[in-house]
Amino acid sequence: MKNLMEHMGVEPGRLQFSWISSAESTKFVDVVKQVTASVKELGPNEKFIKKTVKVA
Amino acid sequence: MMKVINIDKQKWAGGVESLSKSYRLFGPMKEDDSHNFKELKKGELPDLAYGNTKLSPKSTVFPPSEAMFTYTLDESKPDHHILQDVKKDYSPRAVLGMRPCDAKAVSLVRMNFDTPEYRDPYWMDAYEATTFVGLACDAPCSTCFCTSTGCGPFNEEGLDVLLVDNGNAYIAKALTEKGEKLLAAAGFADKGDDAAVATKKAAAEAKITAKIETDKLSEKVIMDLYDAPFWADIAFSCINCCTCTYACPTCWCFDIQDENKGNEGVRMRNWDSCMTPLFTMHGSGHNPRDKKPQRVRQRFMHKLKYFVDKYQKGIMCVGCGRCVQQCPVNIDIRTVSKTMNDYVAKC
Amino acid sequence: MDAYITKIKAISERLLKDGTVEAVIGFREGTMPMMSEPCFIKSSDDVKDLVWNANCRINLANYLTNRKEKIAIVAKGCDSRNIVNHIIENKIKRDQLFIIGVPCKGMNDKNTGALQDNCGTCTHRNPVIYDELVGDLVVEQTGVDKYADVKKVEAMSTDEKWAFFEDMYSTCTRCYACRNACPLCYCPTCFVDESKPQWVGKATDPIDVRTYHFLRAYHCAGRCTDCGSCEAACPQNIKVRQLTKKLEKDCAELFGWEAGLTLDKRPPLDTFNVDDPNDFIK
Repeated sequence: MKNLMEHMGVEPGRLQFSWISSAESTKFVDVVKQVTASVKELGPNEKFIKKTVKVA
Repeated sequence: MMKVINIDKQKWAGGVESLSKSYRLFGPMKEDDSHNFKELKKGELPDLAYGNTKLSPKSTVFPPSEAMFTYTLDESKPDHHILQDVKKDYSPRAVLGMRPCDAKAVSLVRMNFDTPEYRDPYWMDAYEATTFVGLACDAPCSTCFCTSTGCGPFNEEGLDVLLVDNGNAYIAKALTEKGEKLLAAAGFADKGDDAAVATKKAAAEAKITAKIETDKLSEKVIMDLYDAPFWADIAFSCINCCTCTYACPTCWCFDIQDENKGNEGVRMRNWDSCMTPLFTMHGSGHNPRDKKPQRVRQRFMHKLKYFVDKYQKGIMCVGCGRCVQQCPVNIDIRTVSKTMNDYVAKC
Repeated sequence: MDAYITKIKAISERLLKDGTVEAVIGFREGTMPMMSEPCFIKSSDDVKDLVWNANCRINLANYLTNRKEKIAIVAKGCDSRNIVNHIIENKIKRDQLFIIGVPCKGMNDKNTGALQDNCGTCTHRNPVIYDELVGDLVVEQTGVDKYADVKKVEAMSTDEKWAFFEDMYSTCTRCYACRNACPLCYCPTCFVDESKPQWVGKATDPIDVRTYHFLRAYHCAGRCTDCGSCEAACPQNIKVRQLTKKLEKDCAELFGWEAGLTLDKRPPLDTFNVDDPNDFIK
């Protein structure tokens, strides 16, 4: 899924996966921080997002 | 009295340039390996060296997706939950170089959108804003069968102007007042004569050997054909895609959808197709055409029987051959009509 | 080809006459040059209509979904792989089928008449499953670069990739010929046709078009045999296989998997293996 998204032209890092147990609270915080930081760096998603539908 | 104008091809580009000042122009443009009707940008000329376009020019009056209304669900706004008309550009537009078959198709489709009870504002407003300039067909494709559909390569029905290629010039027949206006706006004023047209017309018609047979279909009551045994065989290979219906110049079905983004929404209509199960799905979950043969039968019966019986204006097919050319599994309306016709002849 | 069709007809006639099957799925002559039409033969009298030529490009496994009767089906390499998929996915039972295997040297492109793209890089021309063959097995191609076009896209920048697909899908009318010609696309209700919830808009909006192609491709991950039916069906000649081939390549590289080769192994996306690559998970 991630590979295909990136192949189609969505920025690497826009889609991220992680596996966190309910007991891994510190890992959860770390992952959220990492994801937030990397997505902020990418900036707003301007590609794979639908604004108002394009019709004639 | 019909006017005949001679358009020197040297003056064509200048004329189109003049037209672009008072008309939005649409014409065939080459993309990859085929042509399609596009709105011409400033300075663009329609590419008239083409057989026929992949999709019909019906999109110039009937876009694949078209906004009808907008609305807001934001209750703090005074006009919330009220449909608002969408302002559209219905300033004069012209379709340049469409084939006579596609023009006849427009007049067939009009029967549906312009009736004594109803007038479809979107289709009709676009239609009335449009001047249709046809280009007679000198080199029909092997799949063309317009001459047996009540149409023909030089057919004038539905057109405002018919252009006939005459070597270094086009012979332009102004068929309506709209057509005369357009020729005047383009600055085409050289008097011409249409003496050469009859021979060219006969030559083009002689090139069309394929035909559709429907002469016996009106004799039979609908139910006999409806229950005929051949539908399952015809339908077997059909994959129920919308290729035939989207390419067809006479298919007009659409679906209305609301789409929201947050509190703001658009009500639009999109091309739809009798080939899909969803087309006839009822709110109850019941689907009167949930099987493939029923849907395939619908398409051919509508074109070759229901329409004929309802309007008494012939079949709803102009013989452009697009469905024959593009069907992924080679279902051929000419074969289907022959099967139907032969069946009637036998019983 | 002539020898093939003689054999196809003889087998079909025998099976229909002795009641082994109720019908034969094959091809009959088309009305257009470079076209043949899939057909369903129920009587041995109609066996004469069957043809075999380089225009039998549509994947016949597509016509097997959920059928209940006993059927004979004419199958080239790719069709046979999709029959395997169908059996694995419980869309048809092996004992319902009599597979008439056709060793294949490739189908012709419906527009150019040259060898179809996917056939040029096919490495499974022989049926992988069959009850009877209509000719000697053909030599499989080796040393072909199956993914040259995928690699070209992989080498692009993100923006170039986005633009490449934007341009590719710009002529799509959403006729769904690619989906409907695909033997993998048999969902009772496709996600694009769902209304509760509505996953994707219905207009020709470019994002909706892309979402459709992207998700349809993804649904084929680990299942696509690159039979080329989608591309052959597309009236706009869109290179629909670009996305499914990327998935095919990933499945080969990540799981050593090629779809539809055996009835004995579950596809990678419906099994878990401790060795599965998981670098993408943080």
